[in-house]
Amino acid sequence: MKFKTYLDLYQLLEVDNSTKAQRRAFGLSHVLLKNKPLEQLMAWVKENKQKLKTPLLSDIFTSYLYGISFTLIIVGFVVGFFSGVTLLNYNGHAPVNVIYFMAMVIVLPLLTMTLTLFSMIKAHQSRSVLIHLSPSYWMEKIVALLPRKIQENLENLKLNPLLANWIVIKRSQSIALFFSLGLLVSLLLMVATKDIAFAWSTTLHISPEAFHSFLNTLAFPWRSWFPSAVPSLELIEQSQYFRLGDGLSEKMISHASKLGEWWKFLAFATLFYAIILRFFMLLLATLGWQIAVKKSLFSLEGVSMLLRDMNEPIISTHAQEEELTDTTSKEGVLQTINTLDASYDVAQGWAMSEEQLHVLNDAMGVITPLVYDVGGTNSLEEDAEIIHKSHGEVLLYVKAWEPPTMDYLEVLVKQVDRVIIVPVGTEEQGYKADEKMIQIWIKKLAQIESNKVWLKKRSSGKKAAKETDHAES
Amino acid sequence: MPSRRQTYPKFAVVGHPNKGKSSIVSALALDDTVKISDVPGTTTKQRSFPLSVDGKILYELLDTPGFQRARQVLAWLEKHDVSADKRHEVVQAFINTHKDDAKFNDEIELLTPIMEGAGIIYVVDGSKPYGEEYEAEMEILRWTGQPSMALINHIDESDYSQEWKRALGQYFKMVRTFNPMATDVSQHISILESMAQLKEEWIAPVKQSIKLFEAYHEQMLRQSAEAIAKLVSESLSDVETLTLGDAEAQDVDKKALKEKYKEKLRFLENKTQKQIEKIWNHAHMEKEQALLTFDGIDLFSEEAASVFGLTRKELLITGATSGAVAGAGVDLLLLGHTLFIGGAIGAVVGGVGAYLGFNELSEVKVLGQKLGKRYLQIGPMENRNFPYILLGRAIFHAYHIATRSHALRDVEELSMDNIFKDKWLNEDLRKSLEKYHKMFRSGDEVNVEYMEGYRDLIAGVLEKLIV
Repeated sequence: MKFKTYLDLYQLLEVDNSTKAQRRAFGLSHVLLKNKPLEQLMAWVKENKQKLKTPLLSDIFTSYLYGISFTLIIVGFVVGFFSGVTLLNYNGHAPVNVIYFMAMVIVLPLLTMTLTLFSMIKAHQSRSVLIHLSPSYWMEKIVALLPRKIQENLENLKLNPLLANWIVIKRSQSIALFFSLGLLVSLLLMVATKDIAFAWSTTLHISPEAFHSFLNTLAFPWRSWFPSAVPSLELIEQSQYFRLGDGLSEKMISHASKLGEWWKFLAFATLFYAIILRFFMLLLATLGWQIAVKKSLFSLEGVSMLLRDMNEPIISTHAQEEELTDTTSKEGVLQTINTLDASYDVAQGWAMSEEQLHVLNDAMGVITPLVYDVGGTNSLEEDAEIIHKSHGEVLLYVKAWEPPTMDYLEVLVKQVDRVIIVPVGTEEQGYKADEKMIQIWIKKLAQIESNKVWLKKRSSGKKAAKETDHAES
Repeated sequence: MPSRRQTYPKFAVVGHPNKGKSSIVSALALDDTVKISDVPGTTTKQRSFPLSVDGKILYELLDTPGFQRARQVLAWLEKHDVSADKRHEVVQAFINTHKDDAKFNDEIELLTPIMEGAGIIYVVDGSKPYGEEYEAEMEILRWTGQPSMALINHIDESDYSQEWKRALGQYFKMVRTFNPMATDVSQHISILESMAQLKEEWIAPVKQSIKLFEAYHEQMLRQSAEAIAKLVSESLSDVETLTLGDAEAQDVDKKALKEKYKEKLRFLENKTQKQIEKIWNHAHMEKEQALLTFDGIDLFSEEAASVFGLTRKELLITGATSGAVAGAGVDLLLLGHTLFIGGAIGAVVGGVGAYLGFNELSEVKVLGQKLGKRYLQIGPMENRNFPYILLGRAIFHAYHIATRSHALRDVEELSMDNIFKDKWLNEDLRKSLEKYHKMFRSGDEVNVEYMEGYRDLIAGVLEKLIV
């Protein structure tokens, strides 16, 4: 899993406008990768990478990362080398105190590696103090010196804290490794080119025996294989150095050839503590980085949806096409009355018995010489005959809850002068129609646009108030 | 015989105008785009609602126009004196003869799919009395010879189901009651099971559809939980900044930043609501602006806190528990040599912190040099109550959307519900949630497994409420 893939996916998800169907099609065409989300994402990136504009963000960022890292590594090596030269600088008067060098190649690496281990554990934190302590974090400010265009590109990249921290951790290990290599090279070069008198000196009361034992412990990784790289008690005794006095002691001068033996110990200490252990830290950081990249890949904005779209079947229950809308809606006109007259020529009831019609006439206070049951189970011929017999003003009772069907009305209006439609409620409602239903009738009948059709709106009011309603159809 | 080209079952929803055919289709197809109107004859063309998986159709629902001239059609059919086994041919002949006759447009539209093999779902309104005028329609449907069932819909409160059942039983193999306005998953599945029984060869595909429908429901639930989890995580970890330049920070700057911060969180809530509406196919839902602020109750109002948030006491307990757990970690690390003082201190600090921070969202801090500029920063969210308010509102919204019938066309109003919190939040859940809220508040990277754990908690709540 490469960091470049992460960056490509990051960039792709920002510009991607693929539909759910396209993503699902990808999932189905790569069925062998099902349940392997990482492989699926990598395959998706590979297939869609050409959609990205060049230069790719991944190329810009990785080259920037490589450039900065390379620079810092070189700087680290140079600093290490010159630190070594400074520490091993021998002017022929005072011997070189190995304690300084040991502090640099043993204590410092062990301390920084311990801090690194803590920072690895806390790498998910956005505000890790340990990360901020790292020189490579502060050297990141070099970004301000980069060309403006690169800066703009990088500003858009929002790395999550986990990845940003691991970049610092990993880079710190590389720098430290090369710093240590610089130290080792300087040691070897100084030893090869100069005759250095090593000694040890400390203010603390440490006996040569105790120091020997300490060094013996430090040398545990190599003492079996390279016993000559472990200072002997004799050498330690001979090379103990006290600052008081002028120049080198007689004892040291008499064993001058032996004092140089220290270099083997220092070289192995550098190799093991500063280089080999640091190399393992670098491997650990690389492994952690790899895991972080993989983890971050799944926490990228849009990844879970992408995977879901690829792997979950598209279940659709809705209509495939838009419902056609009648854009030519027109305002219909319907004439309405609030109160019925005292009598009409004919009363008809749609799917009602003649008994019901008499009851309704009585309830409405209307007299009609003729009452007819129409619709319902009547045959068309029977209805045609009733229409034929009808004339003048017809009162047509309809069930308010039954929406008007047109097959009777349109024939009736051709025969008579006027049809007053009276929607009635159920018996339980006392034949009073709901206002909502009256409105439905108004809307529907307005579409007929016939001046012969009237609707009785409400039962209240004694005077016949005639009015015209406008309804949207 | 009618054409049998299709390989999956089709069901034509037919009936008298304005008896709720479109509502039933809308509810069964989970589609809120179906036009439902009081005006009879709104549906003029048959419309298909296939249940498909990756493009493969398992069954198809067809919304059709209502009968307009049933008696005229029946009269035409009855003119042909044929034996029962030939009646469907007469219906087909009617279609062929009148396919270009605008007068019979609605009848042609509704009879055509039936004659192509669709099962019949005849819809009536059980809240109104039975009428003999329906018999012409039912007789026409009987002439088609297709398997059929009747659905009694209840548009109003009155109940005439018994008389309808007596009449419908004479024409249809199965009579069921279904209210599309108040349907739930089990009712939906029950209707699908009835539809499967119409024809032997439809049993397998419809049963498969039922399984799929259940999976679909599960999918929507999980996606909703994921969206809510993301909302809480993003809101709690959000950080807003305001560059000051060289000037000193003024109160007006702090106020502006606080407002910016609140606006961002409102935006995130709004975005998630829309997402959830889309997940449950309610994207076309008509709603008032008030919905976004819960009937005018803003996310940051005291009312929202009192309805959805924790009480000071609950918050104190939650803070103390969370602090005690952290302190106990120190005790364990030191093998109990601290005499468990760590746990006690943690509990006190956590409890007091939660109690004192009851009203404050997050502190506005002036931060130092960033490329030579000073800036104000607010966030991540410090208020321990806020996640519960946000989560409560999100769950409340998701619950209403998930249980809302697709047949409803009225404005959705989410009024405050004082007892809702008790329905989903208990002490154990609060403890579990607090662990995640603490993590989100820290602004640290939250890994996928962690988010999945939080999502599962929310999914559990939604499942309990919805299913």
